[in-house]
Amino acid sequence: MLKTKPAADGHTPVGDSVPRLDAHDKVTGAAQFADDIQFGPGLLQARILRSPHAHALIKRLDVSRALALPGVKAIVTGEQTPGYIGLYLQDRHIFCRDRVRYIGDPVAGVAAVDEATAEQAVDLIEVEYEPLPAVFDPVEGTRPDAPLLHPDLGQYEAVNFIFPKPGSNISNHFKIRRGDVAGAWAQCAAVVEREYRVPHIQHVPIEPHVAVAKWDDKDKITLWASSQSPFAQRNLIAKALHLSQSQIQVIAPYVGGGFGAKAGVSMEALAVVIAGAVKGRPVKLRLTREEEFFTTFVRQGLVARFKVGCDQDGRLQALENTYYWDAGAYTEYGVNMTRAGGYSGTGPYDVPNVKVDSICVYTNHPVGGPMRGFGMPELHSGLEQAMDDLAHAVGVDPVEFRRRNCIRGGDIVATGMTMHPTGLPECIEKAAAAINWGHKSSPSAPNKRRGKGMAIMWKAPAMPPNAGSSARVQLNEDGTVMVSLGGQEIGQGTFTVMAQMAAAALGVPYDWVKVAGPIDTDSSPYEWQTVASRLTWSMGNAVSAAARDARRQILEMVAKAWKESPDDLDIVDGQVISYKSEEACSLKDLVIYGLPNPDGDGWIGGPVLGRGSFMPTYVTGLDPETGQGPRAVVHYTTGAQAVEIEVDLDTGKVEVLRAVAAFDVGKAINPDMVRAQMEGGLVQGISTAFFESLQLKNGRVLNPSFVDYRIATAADAPPQLEAIIVEVPQDDGPWGARGIGEHSMVPTIPAIANALYDAVGIRLEAPPFTAEKVYLAMRAAGVVQ
Amino acid sequence: MAMHRITFTLNGARERVEVPSNQTLLQLLRERLALTGTKNGCTAGECGACTVLWNGEPVNSCLVLAVECDGTEVVTVEGLAHDRQLDPVQTALLEAGGVQCGFCTPGVLLSARALLDRNPRPSDYEIRDALTGNLCRCTGYLRIIEAVKAAARAAEPA
Amino acid sequence: MLTAHPGLPEFDYIKPTTLPEASQFLAEHAGEARPFLGGTDTFVRLRDGAWKDKYLVDVKHLDGMQTLAFDPAAGLTVGAAVNMNRVIAAPEVQAHYPLLAEAAHTVASYQLRTRATLVGNACNASPAGDTVGAGLVLNAELLIFGVDGGRRAPLATFFRGPGKTTLRPGDIVTAIHYPLPPAGHAGRYLKLGRNALGDLAIVGVTALGYRDPAAPSGYRFRLALASVAPMPLRPVQAEALLSDQPLSEAGLQAAAEAAAAAATPIDDVRGGAEYRRLMVRNLTRQALRDVWQRLG
Ligand SMILES: Cc1cc2nc3c(=O)[nH]c(=O)nc-3n(C[C@H](O)[C@H](O)[C@H](O)COP(=O)(O)OP(=O)(O)OC[C@H]3O[C@@H](n4cnc5c(N)ncnc54)[C@H](O)[C@@H]3O)c2cc1C
Ligand code: FES
Ligand code: FES
Repeated sequence: MLKTKPAADGHTPVGDSVPRLDAHDKVTGAAQFADDIQFGPGLLQARILRSPHAHALIKRLDVSRALALPGVKAIVTGEQTPGYIGLYLQDRHIFCRDRVRYIGDPVAGVAAVDEATAEQAVDLIEVEYEPLPAVFDPVEGTRPDAPLLHPDLGQYEAVNFIFPKPGSNISNHFKIRRGDVAGAWAQCAAVVEREYRVPHIQHVPIEPHVAVAKWDDKDKITLWASSQSPFAQRNLIAKALHLSQSQIQVIAPYVGGGFGAKAGVSMEALAVVIAGAVKGRPVKLRLTREEEFFTTFVRQGLVARFKVGCDQDGRLQALENTYYWDAGAYTEYGVNMTRAGGYSGTGPYDVPNVKVDSICVYTNHPVGGPMRGFGMPELHSGLEQAMDDLAHAVGVDPVEFRRRNCIRGGDIVATGMTMHPTGLPECIEKAAAAINWGHKSSPSAPNKRRGKGMAIMWKAPAMPPNAGSSARVQLNEDGTVMVSLGGQEIGQGTFTVMAQMAAAALGVPYDWVKVAGPIDTDSSPYEWQTVASRLTWSMGNAVSAAARDARRQILEMVAKAWKESPDDLDIVDGQVISYKSEEACSLKDLVIYGLPNPDGDGWIGGPVLGRGSFMPTYVTGLDPETGQGPRAVVHYTTGAQAVEIEVDLDTGKVEVLRAVAAFDVGKAINPDMVRAQMEGGLVQGISTAFFESLQLKNGRVLNPSFVDYRIATAADAPPQLEAIIVEVPQDDGPWGARGIGEHSMVPTIPAIANALYDAVGIRLEAPPFTAEKVYLAMRAAGVVQ
Repeated sequence: MAMHRITFTLNGARERVEVPSNQTLLQLLRERLALTGTKNGCTAGECGACTVLWNGEPVNSCLVLAVECDGTEVVTVEGLAHDRQLDPVQTALLEAGGVQCGFCTPGVLLSARALLDRNPRPSDYEIRDALTGNLCRCTGYLRIIEAVKAAARAAEPA
Repeated sequence: MLTAHPGLPEFDYIKPTTLPEASQFLAEHAGEARPFLGGTDTFVRLRDGAWKDKYLVDVKHLDGMQTLAFDPAAGLTVGAAVNMNRVIAAPEVQAHYPLLAEAAHTVASYQLRTRATLVGNACNASPAGDTVGAGLVLNAELLIFGVDGGRRAPLATFFRGPGKTTLRPGDIVTAIHYPLPPAGHAGRYLKLGRNALGDLAIVGVTALGYRDPAAPSGYRFRLALASVAPMPLRPVQAEALLSDQPLSEAGLQAAAEAAAAAATPIDDVRGGAEYRRLMVRNLTRQALRDVWQRLG
């Protein structure tokens, strides 16, 4: 199953599992990552002084002793950063000014000849704080008497689909009101009401964040960074520093894992501001693994309250869910996660009566940011357990329950939008069949118990309605093709998929296509961000448009030269052919120098350069009080996962024996890479289910290292994993494709939780389902002594 | 801080450098010799991204002092291929689709190479055991494990 | 400083050529010099800022440090600098000390064990040290070179508290010696970590058993517990139960309960005290069953 096939001659590479474009350089060590770029001896190193308080006022800040240290070149503080920065809500200074809001908040930055000197200088900076009462729980944070984190919330600039509540800690409140929820409970044969919590976790890309910045004397800034979002970084940093976007050039080579941590702006702006104080010299800021765990984005925590009810036949009647997001000290990015959690808050279910409240709460915790799944793993975590409980309560098999209630094409979703065709029912069937649902296998030892569980999911790309993509397709003298684009290769394989699409749209073999890297905002076409699993669909549309544009130019040129109609011409395998005259000509002979004019002297054509762009134009706003509107999102990717687990009654350890993932990707441009996303996401999901949580105590992360924050290792990956591709095409996707990157970890936690219930009859309030929690719960339930 | 003059073999070639006491092998490779295939993911012996072969054995180069390398032999990912011919573990990883972001890849390759050197036909468990020190956040490991099996098979006489 | 340093702090690397020279240097710089082997504990603590030594003394090349020797009459001597992978792979260890190999195998990862040593594990005196239990039940001794010459110190009385040992300034452990284990013994190390492999122990239970006609039960057992007390622990009452009464499933259970009662665990990020105590009970029971079964 893992073998890759070369593109067969003459047929389109779309749908083929071609080898990755970047794999060769990655196995030889040649692939360049941001920290690998050499800057020579002029490079300065930066370190950051961070707040030791969760919430405090800065009363005094004195850098004079630190500045006097030999080797220190500059120190910057909040004084240099009066402006605000943020993606959806500008609520953050690059360096704190009068107030710190979490342990780790940047207070000052030092540039020095080396890291050790910069560290010493950090220790010499004197700061006097006045500690303030803090908020460590999102529900408490909504109380009227809670300490206020952002007294200026009313003055912050926000996009028009975010609704902060000045005078409170609520920076967004998304509501759905549909049907008559209050009246519906009476119609229900069974109602389940539960609270679940999801802890903060971290993305844990194996490559830590790194940024190098340099200002020249005309205030042109270059930023080299490990970045999912070169263009957004250019934009947000420019705005915060009151510069023009064209003054900033962001160069972003391969990213060693992002998962959202390297989207938007987190630590990159620090490097830029520090470099501004030492013009002409590059300054590098590289986070330690420890800093990685709490000073960039983390996945926010969630307190979720579910109430779901169904009739005698197990048909969902009503749903009333409230999500309190523990969004951290700044919610500039997090607000939109809570919006996504709101409009997708029913999960992939058809429910007539819905009330959803999704509330974004400031807390004195690390900054919540986007992470793979963008709110969906968190909310599905409890929702899919509540649905399981409801199925049991009404005596319906959990898979049958999902079959009856899952969203289908043509259904009206809770925001009022009509659901497009979706393969969710097929995903449920395939996952259930693959896990042999309904059949209980016997455990491997007397002290073990087995169980199976399923969970389903949906997720839409969460982004501004008009997030755009663009691309260039350029032909070389030898007929090969260079694709320029602005979406980033973060491991998901986007360069490969784009090359496949360009090759297919143009009519050349896959291995003729290269993708220009690193992404460089000065020369790469615009791309909003590499997030939301949107590239295959959005950038794919731009790239195929660009390739079609190049193709049109070529065919028009050849048609003129051959005196034929472009309609009779085609490009196959890098050759222009005429179906009419049966003439053929290799691309290399015409894409740069054109062709001789058949009517005498001169030439026609010239260097071929295709351009394409894509932006969805149809997403509408939603009513702030009811969440209703014609089209909340561009589309939903749906899917199901099922697992079989075995619980060790002596230790509480849970092992996933088998896991199945089935997702509707519309069209798998590269089936093998789609499966690779499903596998990797599932194991990441398993990792979050069993191991991961940032242990927070009074705002401090107690486990900021790999010793204490464990992630799955090779020994934890399940022995068997099956990835199933379902293809119900997306009307506006290239070849019908939709994204899959994030979705693959969304239903894993609840699938495991449901299997745990099946195996030993316990439900835990929150992941991770550590052996300890499982054991103690089994003990409380009388399953073990 | 004391400086030390050391001589060692790096990917088959002799290197002579002067290093400070507290410089790690990882820093020497990346920052001094600009051999950046070896990655830094934690500086604490936990992630395995910095794994190199030291006298033939895999080691976390972030936990080896450069000065300790005097008179020894070091192989990094850049030294795996010979005469532009990829090592079988490189080919296998590439073909199995065991590379995503690629940041763990150099370390994974060296752990895998060393495993096959000491145990040409490892079991599934032995492969997982040998790779526990190489964290990968992208692939879910299964294709990496498959790749090591494939590389082992490829080395068997037909 | 809120987090660890990006790199190692400044220190001077010292590589003495003889034991006396090394010992003298360490004694003269007491409090600011430290011997190291694999450095896997040392570098991590230096980077964390927990240790601030000015000198790191590399003792790996000194006399006898790299020797692994088995004497059928006396037992196994592992030089301080022999790394764990070498120990695990050594045929003598596989044949006569499988328990030691089993325990060492659970330490971290293969590449870390290229550096990590048994002696470092002991000298680090962490209650979580995975190979210490095997040393305790095998009655291991440390060979120490100090300013006053050489001496031997039983592992059983080596620990003074978390991170604390009886070593004095100038002391260098040159080897760890494991006497011949009782004939026909069987051993087991059960380690419970969060991950399937590679984690530090939440709880570790070492058990060693052998037939002894002199014991009322006909068996003797030695037990050692990791990560459940400030120091590696021998639950002697549990051991006594096993030799004093005929072996039975209920007897194993009683011994397991006694082991749990001997533990004084704490809550930390890896696990809570209550769970640890319960796991001492369950893992001890399991380890004893395994050993008993193998003794037949
Ligand atoms: C990522 C990681 C994972 C780990 N996982 C585990 C694990 O699973 N299980 C486990 O038990 N341990 C684990 N450890 C801890 C460590 O690897 C072990 O304790 C190891 O055995 C230490 O050996 P070393 O040779 O590296 O010790 P070193 O760091 O060289 O020394 C350790 C201590 O002993 C002292 N010392 C060293 N040599 C001598 C000597 N000759 N005479 C006197 N004193 C001396 C040093 O001064 C220091 O205090 C882990 C460490 C890391 C970094
Ligand atoms: S960088 Fe060495 S193990 Fe992570
Ligand atoms: S491929 Fe990204 S960490 Fe392994």
